[in-house]
Amino acid sequence: MRLLAKYNRVNLVTTIIMILITGAIYYQAISWILTNQKDKDLAIEEQEVFDYVRSNHQLPQTFESNDQQITFAEAAPGSVKREFVNTMYFKKWDQDDVHEKHRHKNGEYESGRGLITSVTVGNKYYKILIVESKVETEDLIRLIFTITIGVILLLLLVLLVTNRLILNRLWQPFYKIMKELRLFSVADTRDIPKLKTSIDEFKELNQVVVEMASRAKHDYKDLKTFAENASHELLTPIAVINSKLDTLIQTENFSDRQSKLLNDLYSAVSRLNRLNQSLLLLVKIENRLLHEQKRINLHELVEEMIIQFEEIFQAKDLKLTYRLGDKEIYASSYLVEILLNNLISNAIRHNHNGGEVIINLTDQHLLIQNTGDQLPLPNEIFTRFHKSSGSEGSGLGLTISRQICENFGFSLNYYFKEGYHTFIVDFKEGHS
Amino acid sequence: MKILIIEDEKGLRESIEEYFTEDGNICETASDYQTAMTKVNLYRYDCILLDITLPGGNGINILKSLKENGHPDGVLIISAKNSLDDRLEGLNLGADDYLVKPFHLSELKARVSAIIRRKTFSGSNLLIFNEITIDLLAKEVKVDKTLVKLTRKEYALLLYFIANKGKVVSKNAIAEHLWGDGIDMANNFDFIYSHIKNIRKKLMEAGSNDYIQAAYGMGYKFTGQ
Repeated sequence: MRLLAKYNRVNLVTTIIMILITGAIYYQAISWILTNQKDKDLAIEEQEVFDYVRSNHQLPQTFESNDQQITFAEAAPGSVKREFVNTMYFKKWDQDDVHEKHRHKNGEYESGRGLITSVTVGNKYYKILIVESKVETEDLIRLIFTITIGVILLLLLVLLVTNRLILNRLWQPFYKIMKELRLFSVADTRDIPKLKTSIDEFKELNQVVVEMASRAKHDYKDLKTFAENASHELLTPIAVINSKLDTLIQTENFSDRQSKLLNDLYSAVSRLNRLNQSLLLLVKIENRLLHEQKRINLHELVEEMIIQFEEIFQAKDLKLTYRLGDKEIYASSYLVEILLNNLISNAIRHNHNGGEVIINLTDQHLLIQNTGDQLPLPNEIFTRFHKSSGSEGSGLGLTISRQICENFGFSLNYYFKEGYHTFIVDFKEGHS
Repeated sequence: MKILIIEDEKGLRESIEEYFTEDGNICETASDYQTAMTKVNLYRYDCILLDITLPGGNGINILKSLKENGHPDGVLIISAKNSLDDRLEGLNLGADDYLVKPFHLSELKARVSAIIRRKTFSGSNLLIFNEITIDLLAKEVKVDKTLVKLTRKEYALLLYFIANKGKVVSKNAIAEHLWGDGIDMANNFDFIYSHIKNIRKKLMEAGSNDYIQAAYGMGYKFTGQ
């Protein structure tokens, strides 16, 4: 749930509850005030009756006035307790009103406020009931209440809308920071930019993010520098071993056992060297140190590679099928050669004798398929130092291949289908 | 041939010196910047093997000094830095070739031979070894007057052997020379064997002596005077 939605929801619920509560209180308050007003009117009326009785010693004529009725009834002395009551007021129809006449007999009940009181005229005790219609009061209450609620609702609506607009704008820096974070990569050379905002919280967040990013980058760079330096330092001893081996085999007269040992040594040194070169290469790709790029005719390059590998195809008795369309990419030829070399030599190395390799180049992708084990490879093949058992490789080939692809905005993926291990370089995702 | 080896790593320097001296070449060595600079300014060499990272200074400066003074010495840079910028800088400054550590001595020898060939045979592009004549421009091989048809790799291999004649060249070195060091087929050298077999067959059919010998299952040796 978005913060805004959550905030609005909470806001709305509390506001509605508040409105209901305050509405009730407000209604009660107005009712109480207006009823009080009515009661005063009734008390004045009562006083008038008392005055009349006092001066005339008889009950006044019961007369109908607008919205007021007074009735007298004889009662046992002292039986009436003076009180205000909510009661019904019988409204007689206006004699002239033709419309309403035949709707009802001669009137209808509506809510009213009454005062029950008593008066003694001579030795007779009377109960007096003064009733006033409350319709107008209620109408008034309703009107005030409606207007007030209307205003509140309107206010609420305006608040919601402005909240939405303002909050959306207020949170823009946050979303910008989020976007930057999503794009952030320690290997990237791009920094998280400083954000212009007047809000302290976001300023702080931005600052923390920028600091964290630069720290992460710094640490990553340290690590890479270490890997690079370590690999560099290894080059010299490897070079010495290599040259000493080359010198050693000039000394003639080796037994079979010695030459076998020397061959193993050569293989190991060569592997060590390749491993080391791969590590250096990875660091370089990640540092984007190999940035000379040019147009490359992939068709020609793949063809060259196939010729390069010709003997090896023959040695393993592999059947090579290829269909090469025209495709030009803008990339570093050095890296693309490494990529093709890796993919094709993988297709050969992990094949069985008499197997098959299919290479397919179209405008969208480069597909390299090979037969081999009848089991799909695990997902980890692209991680560093993942090797199939018995592999002579460095375990970095596919990592490097993927890095190269990503470097040029391509993607490299693997799937296993109908007995073929397939590696697909997808050009679509990037610029061609 | 007179060769100057500028390399600070003792083990490597000695190996190179030994490998090159056996062939009747004169080798001198320098292990730091100052010695190298002095030698380069005093004597002329057919080829200078130049390490970039030297104690006391940058090897690139030696190259610059050579070119500024108009010395014609061939320069092959040997460096642990396989960075393209370095390579380009070196070649732009007038180095003849660039070899990245680690390398096989036979590869180094082949490169040096190529540089010296370019420097000394100026005009002539013929490499003659006994009855074998190689036209380096046309990439043609003749035994006496008979043309021998070699594939691209066989041709490269023959040149490699001649540059390293009298030396045992390991199968690894051959594989790396022909397929680059990206190749990962260390346990499968059958294709080298078939290449060698073909070269021998073709040369001998054209009337050449059999110069290529297998050496203890480790490599091959091109023998001959």
